[in-house]
Amino acid sequence: MSSSKKVLELFYDVVSPYSWLGFEVLCRYRNVWNIDLKLRPAFLGGVMQGSGNKPPGVIPNKFMYMTKDLGRLAKYFSVPLCAPSDPFEAMFEKGSLAAMRFVTAVAEKAESDRDAKVERVSRELWMRIWSNDQDITQPASLSEAGQKAGLSANEIEELLKLAKSQPIKDKLKSTTQKALEYGAFGFPLIVCHVDGQPEPFFGSDRFELLAHCIGQQYSLHFQSFKNVMFCVDLSSYHLTHTDTYSSH
Amino acid sequence: MTTSKALHVARIHSDVVSDFSQKMSSSSKVKLVELFYDVISPYSWLAFEVLCRYRNVWNINLKLRPALLGGVYKGAGNKGPDDVPRKFHYMVTDLLRLGSYAGVPLRVPAQPINVLLGKGSLPAMRFVTAVAEDSAGDAKVERVSRELWTRIWSNGQDINQLSSLAEVGQKAGLSARKVGELLEQSQSKAIKDKLWNTTEKALDYGGFGFPLTVCHVEGEPKVFFGSDRFEVMAHCLGERWVGPKPVHPSVMDSQSHATMRAAMAS
Repeated sequence: MSSSKKVLELFYDVVSPYSWLGFEVLCRYRNVWNIDLKLRPAFLGGVMQGSGNKPPGVIPNKFMYMTKDLGRLAKYFSVPLCAPSDPFEAMFEKGSLAAMRFVTAVAEKAESDRDAKVERVSRELWMRIWSNDQDITQPASLSEAGQKAGLSANEIEELLKLAKSQPIKDKLKSTTQKALEYGAFGFPLIVCHVDGQPEPFFGSDRFELLAHCIGQQYSLHFQSFKNVMFCVDLSSYHLTHTDTYSSH
Repeated sequence: MTTSKALHVARIHSDVVSDFSQKMSSSSKVKLVELFYDVISPYSWLAFEVLCRYRNVWNINLKLRPALLGGVYKGAGNKGPDDVPRKFHYMVTDLLRLGSYAGVPLRVPAQPINVLLGKGSLPAMRFVTAVAEDSAGDAKVERVSRELWTRIWSNGQDINQLSSLAEVGQKAGLSARKVGELLEQSQSKAIKDKLWNTTEKALDYGGFGFPLTVCHVEGEPKVFFGSDRFEVMAHCLGERWVGPKPVHPSVMDSQSHATMRAAMAS
C-alpha cells in the first residue's frame, strides 16, 4: 500500500486556457488522489522563448480547431471557459507578465493560507481573461481579482508593490527556468515525482496516463464526476456565458 | 451550502445530466467515424489501434482514410513536432509511455528515426491507397497499415523501398502476384489522385496534423485531433470510454495479434 503522498507540480500561466482545464481537474483530484499538489506560477512567454517554440494559435487551422476543442472540453469538464473577443490581443499583445508576477507575490509573500490564496487568485485571473473577457494587465484588474479571491485591500496593495520588486521578478524567472529544465515547451506542465524520478506530462490530456503512473484511478464517467464536482468551490464561478458554450 | 451555490451546482449538474441522456438516446444509430492517418505518424498508430479495438465495442462504422501528413502540413502551413528539439525529446518519452500503457509496441528506434522521418511516406501511403481501392472493406488496409507502422515505429526499418512494400504486403497476407499488381497501381495517376483527394478532405475538415478523427453525429462532423481525445469523443458519440484496451487481447483479430506479439518479442 502506497501511503506517502506523491508530489505533483503544476507549472502554469493564466494566459493559457488549457492550463485552466488542467488546474481545475487537478484541484478536484487533490482530495481524491494521494497527492501533494504544488502550484508553480510561471511565465509562458519565457518558456516559448527558452524552448524556441511558437504558440499553437499562430497556425490558422490550429487556431480554429482550438476554439472548438476548448469549447467542447470546457463543457465536458464544467469549466466556464469562454474565448475573449480578441484572443490574439489578450494572449500576444497584452500578455500575462504583470499577472504572473502578482500570483508569484501571493505565493511568496501572502500573510497566511498561501496555497489557498494562490489557487483562488489564479482562478479569478482565469475567470477575467478566459471567461469574462476582462483585462489582467492593469493594477486595478489585479486588485479586483485579489478582492474576489478574498484578500484584504491592504494585502492587495502590499502584494501589488512586491510584484514589481526584484526578488519577485527573479522568483518568477527561476520557476520558469525550472519548467524549462523539466523540458517544457508549453503549458500546462505537470511534473509527477515517482520513486525519486520526475515524470513530466505536457497538456491537460494526459490524466489517464498520469494516474496510471502514480498508481491512482482516473475517471470522469458520470457517477464519479458527479461526486467530484462537489469538491470545487463554485462561489467564484460566474456562469454568465452558459449560453455561449460552443455546442458540440 | 448556500442557495446560490446550490443553484450553481444544480445548473451545471443538470446540464451534464440532460447532455448525457441526450447522447444515450442517439447511441442506437450507427455512427460513421473516419480516421485520417499516415503511417509516418506515431500518434496515428495509437489512435488506429484504439479505434480498431472499439469498432465492435462502440456503435460505430470505422472507415480508414489513408492520407499524406506532409500534404496536410503543407496545406495548413504547419510543421511536425520534430521541428522543435524539446518537443521531439518529449514526444519520444510520451510515445514510449503511451505505447506501454495502450499495448502498442512503439519502440521509437532512436538512431534511425530522424533519417526515416526525413524520407517521408509518399510511396508507402500510395501503396496503402492502392490496397484500399482494391478492396471491399478495410481488413487488408488495416493489416498493411499495421505492418508499415511496425516497420518504422517498432523496428526502425524503411517503409518506402519497393522491397519494403513487397515484404509488408506479404506479411499482411497478400499473394506475391497481388502485391506486384498493387505496387504497379501505386504509380498510377488514379491512385496518386485518390491519395491527394483524401489529404484534401482532411484539410477541408480543418486538419493541421494527424491523426484526425471525424465522428459524424446527427449529420454533423465532430473533428478530433490527436490520440488523446477519446474520453470526450466517447461522450460525443454517446458511448463510454473504458481505456485503450476495451477487449481481452484474445478477442483481437488473430493476424493483428500475431504481428503485435512478434513485434513485441523481437
